[in-house]
Amino acid sequence: MTIDSNKLFKDYLSDIKNYDEVLKPNKEINQNWNTLLENISTIGDEKLKSLQSEIDWLMAENGVTYNVYNDPNGLNRPWNLNIIPFVINEDEWKEVERGIKQRAELLDLILKDIYGERKLIKNKILPPEVIYEHRGFLRHCDQIKYTTAKSLMIYSAEISRGPDGRMWVVNDRTQAPSGMGYALENRFTTSRIASELYNNINVKQPSAFFNDFNQMLIDAAPKDVENPNIVILTPGPHNETYFEHAYLSSLLGYPLVKGNDLIVRNGFVWMKSLDGLKKVDVILRRVDDVFVDPLELREDSYLGIAGLLEVVRNQNITVVNPVGSGVIENSGLVPFMNAICNYFFKEDLILPQIASWWCGQEKELNFVLKNIKNFVVKRIDRSNRESLFFCEFLSEVEIEVLKKEILKNPCRFVAQEKISFSSAPTYINGKLEPRKIVCRTFSIAKGNGYTVMPGGLVRVASERKELRVSNQRGGVSKDFWVISNELQTNIQQYTWNSSQNISVSDINDLPSNTAENLFWSGRYLGRALVTSRFIRMVLNNMNNEQYNSRKSESEILNYLYKAITNITSTFPGFVGEGSEKTLENPLKEIQSLILDENRIGSLAQTLNSFNNSYYSLRNLWSKDMWRVFDSIKKLWRNYNADEQPSIASLTKLLDRTVTRLIAFMGLIEESILVNQGLLLYFIGLQMEQATMNIAKCRSLIVFNYEEQLNYEILESLLSSHESLNIYRYSYRSYLSIDNVVNLVLLDKEYPKSLSYQLKRIEKDIERLPIPKGTLGFSKSLETIRVANKLIKNVDSITLLNLNEDKTLRNNLEDLLSELSDLLHETSLSISNTYFDHTYQQTQMVKQKIVI
Amino acid sequence: MVYKVIHTTQYDYEEGVTFCHNMAILKPKNILGQRLISYDLQISPKPVEFSERVDFFGNTITRFSIQEHHKQLKVSAISKVDRNILLCPSIDDFEAAKNITLSESLELLKGVSDEILEARQFQLESVLIKNIDEKIKAYAEVSFKPDRSVYEASYELMQRIFKDFEFNTTFSNVATPISEVMKEKKGVCQDFAQIAIACLRSVKLPAKYVSGYIETLPPPGKEKLIGTDASHAWFSVYIPTFGWLDFDPTNNQIPKNQHIVVAWGRDYYDVAPLKGVLYSSGKSTLRVSVDIRPDGGYQQTQIKIPGSSSQQQQQQQ
Repeated sequence: MTIDSNKLFKDYLSDIKNYDEVLKPNKEINQNWNTLLENISTIGDEKLKSLQSEIDWLMAENGVTYNVYNDPNGLNRPWNLNIIPFVINEDEWKEVERGIKQRAELLDLILKDIYGERKLIKNKILPPEVIYEHRGFLRHCDQIKYTTAKSLMIYSAEISRGPDGRMWVVNDRTQAPSGMGYALENRFTTSRIASELYNNINVKQPSAFFNDFNQMLIDAAPKDVENPNIVILTPGPHNETYFEHAYLSSLLGYPLVKGNDLIVRNGFVWMKSLDGLKKVDVILRRVDDVFVDPLELREDSYLGIAGLLEVVRNQNITVVNPVGSGVIENSGLVPFMNAICNYFFKEDLILPQIASWWCGQEKELNFVLKNIKNFVVKRIDRSNRESLFFCEFLSEVEIEVLKKEILKNPCRFVAQEKISFSSAPTYINGKLEPRKIVCRTFSIAKGNGYTVMPGGLVRVASERKELRVSNQRGGVSKDFWVISNELQTNIQQYTWNSSQNISVSDINDLPSNTAENLFWSGRYLGRALVTSRFIRMVLNNMNNEQYNSRKSESEILNYLYKAITNITSTFPGFVGEGSEKTLENPLKEIQSLILDENRIGSLAQTLNSFNNSYYSLRNLWSKDMWRVFDSIKKLWRNYNADEQPSIASLTKLLDRTVTRLIAFMGLIEESILVNQGLLLYFIGLQMEQATMNIAKCRSLIVFNYEEQLNYEILESLLSSHESLNIYRYSYRSYLSIDNVVNLVLLDKEYPKSLSYQLKRIEKDIERLPIPKGTLGFSKSLETIRVANKLIKNVDSITLLNLNEDKTLRNNLEDLLSELSDLLHETSLSISNTYFDHTYQQTQMVKQKIVI
Repeated sequence: MVYKVIHTTQYDYEEGVTFCHNMAILKPKNILGQRLISYDLQISPKPVEFSERVDFFGNTITRFSIQEHHKQLKVSAISKVDRNILLCPSIDDFEAAKNITLSESLELLKGVSDEILEARQFQLESVLIKNIDEKIKAYAEVSFKPDRSVYEASYELMQRIFKDFEFNTTFSNVATPISEVMKEKKGVCQDFAQIAIACLRSVKLPAKYVSGYIETLPPPGKEKLIGTDASHAWFSVYIPTFGWLDFDPTNNQIPKNQHIVVAWGRDYYDVAPLKGVLYSSGKSTLRVSVDIRPDGGYQQTQIKIPGSSSQQQQQQQ
């Protein structure tokens, strides 16, 4: 194939400004790309386009997302994967790998030295300010000793090809490097969708690497721990790479926990689970250094575990990577790296780095200030974003400001030569464009050395001219192929025996945070469903009224409006003060109860609350669930709230919401095991439905109406309950209050009756573990049993007796109100027993000090 | 001179605390000119975990956890210290060091001897002393001139802070930025020490924060010194060829036998006497008392700082 003959490459040639991965300076094609280019051209223009959109679709479907901070629309942005992979030959890769391993070994020794003897400083290899001026140097971690052979367990080097055609190291990531999960998902996606790309190409697979990764975590456990308990610590759903945290949790089978799931007691770290406290041995953390221990580090942090560092010091827990490792994400080290390498290994660095000048010495400082326009200036402790200055693009004024800033704290700055890194073909708008790329590689400690993932995560500049390459700015990624001359086995194993005691599929080990989110997912979904159905029923009645203007129509509507306010607890609404005014334009109030997400009790607000629980649990959800959930979100996003809402459009919205909610709820039941926590979801769901059931009955059938109205009220109740057909089937009769109460409240077999729901709650609560220290007593079980006894012993004859003036069914009201209280109490005691609200972390001396 | 110091911190919690993790830096140093004779840390309720370690700056950190439900936490550090400043070298005996100028100092600080390397980290900004602005630098430069002796300039800086700043216990708290203190010119001992340190670092001199106690029994006919009833703080400047020299800007004097050293750090953040994370929801009240007097008999006074926990702080005066 020649480039010229290929339509896809139409403008490629003229677009190339720098070194290109495919086209050599003499316009010859780099042979490593030959087969791939042939495959691309066989696939052809049209097919390529459809494959790319299939990839985009699959990424969205699978919920592969990336959060962008400080961007209101940046939450859960779909991950972009470009269909054209980046290719590197195994022979070249071996050399790169050797260089990465050397650097990993070196950084490990530096890390040990910085928090240990500080020989590098004492022997004048490294100026002390490079360390002491770096905000990642945590003096609290000084002299901590670790049991693992390597302190730096995970290392991510970012590499790019320089103008000389060699791979250069651009950045070091050492705190909690992200991207492994994305890299794996990229691989799964391209191999699933674009298998034609692989024809006649032997791509090295990363499955062995993930096996090693798992083994590394197990081996990292403190001494004498046989089957270590491993957890993954996440800052939560708002973190930029939360998808990956949940992904690794599912892949590796370790619980995903937040700081408040863990606690330090008796010198160990414990996970709060439904069953009580479980000892934790290894934490794979994705929380940054300064946030992991509010006792010793950032005191206002709610992402960490108070007292963690002391447990680390006593070697009763292993944190991967160790706290304090952020100090070697340090561009101030770069100019000294070769000297350090010679100091430790008596050899030079294998991989070149960008020429860098640390401003902490007078000579270098003056040189930088004099030639500043040629440099990219960075803070030594921030490798991206705010503190990166491309001086050639700065105005004179900006340059002066920057110079002043440097002069104030010269030790904090480094100037780097500006380098044009290579570009690789990227499929954009139907053709291939040369775009600059950065490859993130992943290494982990293995035995006495390191092992490197074959491949990694390739990120592409978002604009053709863009110099910075960062996901934060919403970039595109690529699969990273290391091509072997030998046939690769296609059998990949991503399951392994996990020997730990904490199991992700044992209800006893469910982290209490997860349990709470599941419980509330059930409650919110139940509430959303019942509310949608009820309002939809009322809208239908309003619609009828427009055509018939019988007296009872508007009378029944008044009762139904009031019932809406009652069951959604959105007072005053149609009930309290100012209700006359609200009743003048009932549709406006109903619209607000559906759409106003700032109103507590509204449907929109309930769905939003569910949304939050949902994202916190994403490691549990299946791919189908993502799709359905997404369709609910799209439905609501696309509903144009600005247009004058009509009964018809709102009804349509509710209709679709109900259908999708039911589909979603069905999927939950088949996707999650009861012991994974589905039990908690069920309890929440039933509890909410029972509560709403009671609320409906209390606002509709406790009162006595004249006959026609009575009939219509009963019909509305049954229709909001989706029970009209069942009623007709069961009773084959005119609607009567006795039969309706029997069906909706007392029937023991009908799943939508209160009696059934209460029994079900009791059975589910019975299955919950009884936490240690409660002497086998479960208050929630006690309470729900009282409720069940109450409804079981109801005298159905006197239940419906009217009061003296024949307006009210006193006995019914008393029963329902008592049951409502008991349910509320049950819910509270579940919260108190299992969800751990008693531990609210506060500082002894409240202050916000940024370290 | 032997002193007995009792430093008591007491928290009363409205709602009770289920458990807490704490760190304390209360143990006086054992250094040249100051011998620690005895030290006892009494904690109630009794902690389940208790350990001591020496931190990065050489201070003793006590770490403890209380796991039982409690409504009151009381921490008393009882120390006996023998202070004899005569054992320490006096700057008056080092005429050359006393006369060393700012520009000479800065030149010497480029050196790489162990002592210089160690001192250099105190030239840098720190957690609470950062964003040192032009105003602070200008204030420092009134005293610090390239050809003037660092000793003289530091002495003058101490005098100026003593004169220019108003001692005011209600204005600041631990998190008040130094620029604010500089602007309002009021605060307590920790603010004065930190302002002085900021000034010294603005002209690139290494400066340390020193926390401790001061004996305040007035000699007959003299006024009582400020700083009693609470822990105290001052600053120390590094003078090349001599070493560290302390100054107390709150009392306008070079610390002698009346000053007892507990800890050194870059600023207050490194040496907070007692901090912790606790699990509770209610408000709390803090009481701190410090009693220091020549060994044998003492009289107790207390200050009470009421209010919600967000207003609380352990103030050093």
